[in-house]
Parts: sequence; structure tokens; C-alpha cells
Amino acid sequence: MATTELPLPALPEAHHEEPSGGIVDYLTTVDHKKIGLLYIFTAFAVFLAGGLLALLVRWELATPGLQVMGENTYNQVFTMHGTLMIFLFAAQVTTGLGNYLVPLQIGAADVAFPRANAMSYWLYLFGVLIVVSSFFVAGGPAAVAWTAYAPLSTSEFFQGTGMDLWIIGLAVVGVAGILGAVNLVTTIFRMRMPGMTMFRMPLFTWGVLVNQLLILFAFPPLTVVFALLFLERNFGAEFFDPTAGGSPLLYQHIFWFFGHPEVYIIILPIFGIISEVIPVFSRKPLFGYRAMVFAFFGIAALSFGVWAHHMFATGLVYLPYFSIMSLLIGVPTGIKVFNWIGTMWRGSITLSTAMLMALGFIVVFLIGGITGIFLASPPIDFAVNDTYYVVAHFHYIMVGGLLYGMFAGFYFWFPKFTGRRLSERLGRWHFFTFFIGFNMTFFFQFLVGLDGMPRRIADYDIERWTTANVLSTIGAFLTAVSVLIFLWNFFVSIRRGQPAGDDPWEGNSLEWVTSSPPPSHNFHHLPEVHSERPAFDHRHRDNPAFAAAHTDPERNQDRG
Amino acid sequence: MTDEAGILLRVSIFGFVAGVVYWFLSYEWLGTVALLLLGAGPGFAGLILVQEQRHRGGTGESRAVALRRLAGIPPQDPPGPEDLGAEDLGVLPLPTIWPLAASLGVAMLFTGLIYGLWLVILGLGLIVYAAWGWLAAVNRENRYGRIQADTEAPSPQSGPVSDPDPHPSSARQPES
Amino acid sequence: MQPRRRAPAARWFALAALVLIAAGCTPQSVTEQGRAAYSLYNLFMYIAAVVFVVVSGLVVWSVIRYRRRDDELPTQTHGNNRLELTWTLIPTVIVLVLFVFTMQAQNKELDQSGKADVNITVTAFQWSWRFTYEGTGAEVLGSPGQVPEMVVPVGQTIRIKLISADVVHSFYVPQTLFKRQAIPGTDNFFDLTFEKTGLFHGQCTQFCGLQHADMVYRVRVVTQGEYQSWLAAATRRGAAGQPGT
Repeated sequence: MATTELPLPALPEAHHEEPSGGIVDYLTTVDHKKIGLLYIFTAFAVFLAGGLLALLVRWELATPGLQVMGENTYNQVFTMHGTLMIFLFAAQVTTGLGNYLVPLQIGAADVAFPRANAMSYWLYLFGVLIVVSSFFVAGGPAAVAWTAYAPLSTSEFFQGTGMDLWIIGLAVVGVAGILGAVNLVTTIFRMRMPGMTMFRMPLFTWGVLVNQLLILFAFPPLTVVFALLFLERNFGAEFFDPTAGGSPLLYQHIFWFFGHPEVYIIILPIFGIISEVIPVFSRKPLFGYRAMVFAFFGIAALSFGVWAHHMFATGLVYLPYFSIMSLLIGVPTGIKVFNWIGTMWRGSITLSTAMLMALGFIVVFLIGGITGIFLASPPIDFAVNDTYYVVAHFHYIMVGGLLYGMFAGFYFWFPKFTGRRLSERLGRWHFFTFFIGFNMTFFFQFLVGLDGMPRRIADYDIERWTTANVLSTIGAFLTAVSVLIFLWNFFVSIRRGQPAGDDPWEGNSLEWVTSSPPPSHNFHHLPEVHSERPAFDHRHRDNPAFAAAHTDPERNQDRG
Repeated sequence: MTDEAGILLRVSIFGFVAGVVYWFLSYEWLGTVALLLLGAGPGFAGLILVQEQRHRGGTGESRAVALRRLAGIPPQDPPGPEDLGAEDLGVLPLPTIWPLAASLGVAMLFTGLIYGLWLVILGLGLIVYAAWGWLAAVNRENRYGRIQADTEAPSPQSGPVSDPDPHPSSARQPES
Repeated sequence: MQPRRRAPAARWFALAALVLIAAGCTPQSVTEQGRAAYSLYNLFMYIAAVVFVVVSGLVVWSVIRYRRRDDELPTQTHGNNRLELTWTLIPTVIVLVLFVFTMQAQNKELDQSGKADVNITVTAFQWSWRFTYEGTGAEVLGSPGQVPEMVVPVGQTIRIKLISADVVHSFYVPQTLFKRQAIPGTDNFFDLTFEKTGLFHGQCTQFCGLQHADMVYRVRVVTQGEYQSWLAAATRRGAAGQPGT
């Protein structure tokens, strides 16, 4: 395979590396890699804060009686836990990874609009600060649950600046998300290097593309509903007031039209990460590349058709439509799981930490996804919605799915970002502690939810629920320990980690062709792209027989 | 039509179909409008991409083949000229403070909705100032000129081998 | 290396076993309507347990069997269209079957075509409940400190009209396997036909503010005779202007 010298832009600054590390450097950067790291670090800090709030919740709930805090504080704690995690961490950590990796994976020098990219990050940071500032105003932060249903969140029932800061901060983050989505979608559509057709892009880039398209179409309704709520609270609007002709149900419809795609926004890039990690550590290409891409779109499309399954208990939505759509969304998701297994099958598997995390992901995501199928059935939903069954379900997806996938991505790409490897020994400790702690935290919540324990309660007085809650709390603290192990691994490896080189894992996509970390304009040289595994092809370029077998369309029907 | 246009148009078709079906099943306004708008948005964007492609002379793909691709059926013939996604590699912008300043302005403007008109006006002022600085930077940097990539894709057979060394870290060549 | 290869497998099979055990932990329904939900849950559970054990078993097996032993690249299979079609069609069929059973159970559960023997208006408010027995003078009013009890006869159809005085609440009696939201501005109707006597715990399950956790109530299902005497006494109390609990 030949190496093509591409006409990279002739800027005088292209000679030398950007000076890195200083505060001014980061404040003024327009480099997608630095911006990606800013996103990841900020999101992780939010994650740690949200995790602390979770520990407070578990501490309080371990036994009956209000031991640790009063009811109002508890309501604030769980509201902000959900808010920080869902609105301010989950989507942004994957956006950060996407920001760093997508231009590399498609052979571009940066994103389409680098300055606007920086602005997206700063808007996100300011949004976080605004939301967090609600802790410091009179009355404290919002205490209406992350879903903030009207009329509870309206000025009639919930006063205080904390709630308004919550709305404003999240609106700013919403703008950041939309701006970022325009950027990344344009980048993926327009800035692929020659030879990089859409159907040769890595699955992680596809995951980011679909995720950003979802953001583009789902965030505006959220901004709308927040605007309505803000107007209601501060300017006398009556959208949600039934006595004035408004409807509380309106809030739920608009909120969940955003809310359901939001959870797919969170998880789709994770599917992309898993689809990168498993082929590399199985030494085989991803099984069913095209099917995986279509599955992404199937999931994305269906995700817009299921929103009212969060509203089955209202008795006011058309049940069959939402039930069948919610059941069907399990099919493309299942296709993905089968294809991952197909990738591993007859492969040559290495159990690196990244691979362990990916495997752990499959197992726990299976539980989360299957329990989602239960919830898609209205009669079952009537029984278990708004109980700890649902809490366990979405934590299996959000903590099990999101975190395992995120850690898989971290262990996989840390060498690329830093030039050093994370310790595999510490990584194993991290994985096993996390696996045990996580399952202990959330598995028993299924049981206690089936027994009727509602969610969002500061206290309970049914004695037999205590055992499950104590076990869950112990599990939560164990999970916290696992995060500490990861942090330790991170800080040790940053300084003394084994040097990684360009391609420590024998990766498939273009980022593994450049240095670790990449130069400021990403690539000095780019190989030609003729398949969805350009780095792999590049490694085997001196073996023409192998190359021929590899590119033979008869044997490789999924080649783009 | 290009793959990108295909994606957007498929999402659009889904939105319209789902919206219509949903209306006749439920007669519920909000979901119907939302789904139809989900159809309209990407549909609009997809049609723009198609129009633009047509303007540029098309992909050289017959309508039959395009429809096949829209339906997800893999191509029968060997792949044609490579699709060049990046026509314009553009200019990498220099580091700048204006995005941060503009974001601060937006944050102040939004927060001013709670704390008063004075903050809204301050925020607006900062946004205008940052926009001015930003546009000035864009103008200044574009004087270096935009770099057009070749519109013909490099063919695999004739690849120039300027440097067979695949490891950029070992032999860095300064661009000029 | 051997112990590590076995340990994850053992862990996963243990998890599978626990999942199956959990199947026995659904409460039996105490209402006629809830029986449909209970059977449906069990159907889903059996299918789910099989799917989970098979899929995670495949994961564990492939990790054990296809562990890297040498530097040779395995056959670089890109896919198999027939396999894709199979594992698309079979789950779709399973899901459609589940949908049909779901609709059957749902129609049975929500059927309100029968005659109602007792009509109760349940008003949810921050942070307790009021039960008004229509057509009589009986009323039960609770408060956050005082848990209200809804007394109903066994074997008869109770038609509940659920309304809210302020924010969205939710009426949930776990052992009925049913809940319904109380939405201000909307009247929500559903039927409950209890099949056994007893005292059943109920709780608001839609977050509604400060004392959401205290919004507890009870449903006391009694024989028809006991119900009549309770009703008479409650009506007298109501006439005297004292809503009791």
C-alpha cells in the first residue's frame, strides 16, 4: 500500500507542536483533541460529584428511619444526582471521546468548525457551573427529581431560585449540545479523507454520528419544555395549569419526546466503543459491519417512537403503539449483541482490561436490556413502574452499560492520548471490584422493587426491605472503591505507565496509524483507505496474498 | 445520491410514516406534530444535499443504483470512483479566546433571565464584542488562503510513494 | 491461568441462577385484574431467563474456547447474511408473540365493562389521600401523620375515580400489581376486584414533593357483612361532620 502525501494546509505554525499544558493554552485552544480532553475531565469531575450524591442516597436508604438527612435534603440530593449524571455527565463524556477521536478516525485534521467546537465546550462548562451554583442560593438546589414534572416544578408548588438556575443551566448545556452536534455531523459528512466512504468509517464514528443526529432532533424539544417551564415560573404562563386550560400531560409528552432519545444518545457511542474494542482483542473484523450500522439507525429511529412508555401509568396514552415500538427496539439491540459474539467466535481473544470491560458490558447490558423488554409491556409496567425495579433497570443500562463502556474506551485509548499504558494489573482489580460492587448495588433493587418499594422516597418503614437496601449500600461503597482504584491507576500511569508507542493493541482504525499522542494536525502521513480497517491493512501491506483475500468482495460481503 | 443524503432522507421517511400512523391510532396532537417535524427537519437537510450533489454534476450513479442503495441492498458492481468526502481541507484556526468569551456572554444572558435585565444586557454586550473579535480573527486568518484539495480522488494504482516510512514519529517532515 | 478462566464463568452462572430465583419473587396478585399481569410477568421471565443464560453462556464460552494461543491470525470472517437474517427474524417473532400476549392481558386488566358495585373517588393531595364513597356519606381523610384506610368488600367490583387536588401523584397498591397516576384536571377510572381479604399496603409512587415518602395508605379488604357495618358507621360519622380514618 502506498503512502500518500496529502496537501495539508500550509500554515507557518504547522512546523512545531502547539505549546501544551498551560492554562492560557487550554483557555484559547481550538484543537479538537484538547477540547475532547476538557470535556472528558469536566464530565468525569461531574461524575465524581454525582457519585458522592449517590453514596449519600444509599447511606440514607440503608435502613429505615431518617438517619443522615431530612426529607427536603434527600429530595435535593437525589434530584441533583440524577441531574448531574444524566444531563451533565453521561452525554458529555462520550462527546469528549468523540471530539478527540472522530477527526482522527476519518483522517481529518480537525472538526469542521474548530472555534465553535471550543464554544460548545465552554457553554457546557458554564452550564454546569450555573446548575451547581444552585447549591449555594437560598433554598438550595431543585428538589423535583431530574424529570421535574409539572405542576410540581411550577412556581405554585416549588419556589426558589435554585429551580430557575437548574432550568437555565440545563438550557445552556442544551445549546452547547446542539452546537456540538452541528459540528460533528458536518465533520463526519464533509471531512472524511479520500477513500473514507461512509461505509468504511469505524463503528465508533458511526455511533457518534447517530448520537449527534439524535441530539440535533431531541434537544430542541427539551429546550422548548424548559422555556415553557421557565415562562410558567417567572412570567405567569399557564401551559401546565389545568384550571387555566393547560395540561400537566403536555409536560410529560414533550419531556419524554426528548427523554427517551436521550438515553439512546447516551448509549449509542458506547455501542461504538464496544464495537471497536471487541474486534481488536479478538483479532477479527467486526462481524456484520453493515448490519451493525443499520442497527444503529433502527435503534435511533425507533427511539423516537417510544417516548410514552414512560407514561403508561397515566392511563392517557395509546398503549399498543408504544408497547409494540418499545418491544421492537429490542431487536436491533439484540442484533448488536449477536454480532459482538459473532466477532469473538473463532477469534483469538486477549483478555486485556479493555476487553474485560467490554465483556462485562455485554453481560450487564443484557440484564438491563431484557428488563427493559419487561417494562415495554403495559400490564407489567403498571406493576413495577416507579419502583426500584425501574431504578435497577436503568442503572444496569446507565451504570452497567455506560460506565463499563466508558472504562473500556479509557483503557483502550489512554495510550493514544498520553503515550503510556494504564496498568493492566490495577485494571483487573478495577474490573473485578466494579463487577462485584455494581451487581451487588443494583441486583437486589430488582427484588425489592418487585416487592413494591417505590422510588424517590427518603425513608420507608417496611422492615423486610432493609436487607436488600443494606446489601445495595455495601455494593455502592464497593463500587466507589473501584472508581478509586481507577483513579489511582490513572495518576500512577500518567507518570510511570509503560510507554505505548503508536499502536499497542494492533488496532483497526486510523488513529492507530499516527503517533501517541497525535501531532497537532493529527497526521504527518496517511495511508490509503480501502476498507473499514485502514490500520490493519497498513500493518499487513507487505503481504499481498493476505491483502487479496482480505479485499475479495466475494468473501467479504460487508465491505463498503 | 450520497450516503449522507440517504441517511437523512431515510430518517425523514420514518418520521413522516410514524407520524401519520400514530395520528390515526391515537389522535394525540403533540406526538403527531413532533414526529412530523422529525420528518420535516432531516428531509429538508437531505433534499439540500441532493440538490447540491445535482448541482455538482451528480455522483455518476444511475437512479436505479441509487434506489438500491437507499434500500440497503449492497452494490452488485465493483465500487466506482472513491467518494471524496473532503473537498476543502480549509485552514486550521489559530488558538483564540473568543469562543470562551462568547460562551460567557451567552451564560450571562441566560442567567440574566433570572437576575435581571442588567445581566441580560451585559451578556448581550459581551456576545457582540466576542462576535466582533471572532469575525475579525476569521477574516485575518483566511488571508492565508484556503487550500483546495484535488477533486479527483487518488487512484489506488498510481499512488505516489513519497515516503514509505509509516511511523511518523521517526521521520518528521515539516510541511510547507 | 486456569483459575482465572473458570472464575468468570462461575460468576456468570451464579448470576444466571440468581436471576432465575428472582422469578419466584413476584408477588401474587390479590385482585382479579392483576392475575393477568402476574401470568404475563411469568411468561416474560421464562423467556428472559433462557435468553440471558444462552447469550451470556455464548459470551463465556467464546472467551474460554477462543482464547489467544499463538500469533496466527484467525480467519477474517466479515459476516454471514443468513445468520444475520436468522437472528433478526427470531427475536422479531418472539417480540411479536410477547406483544400479542401483552395485549390480551392488558385488555383483561383494563376491562371496565362490568357493573361497578362500589364507587370510590380517590383524591390524592399533598401529602395524603381522601376516599369518598359515592352515593353514601362515607369519607375517609388521611394526613401525613395519620395513615388512611380504604375499606372495601371482597369479591365485588370497586370502581375508582382517581383525581388530584394539586400535583401529579400515583395510586399504587403493590399487591394488586397495578398503579395509576392522579393528574390534576383529569379523572382517571379503573376497577379493582379483590379476591381475598386482608390488609394491603399502598403508597404514592409519583414523586410529589417534600413528604412524598409519607404518602402511605392501606386497603382493608373485608367480608361483605363487615363492609356493610363499617359503611353504616362511616356514613353516620360523615353525616355528623366527622370524616374518620
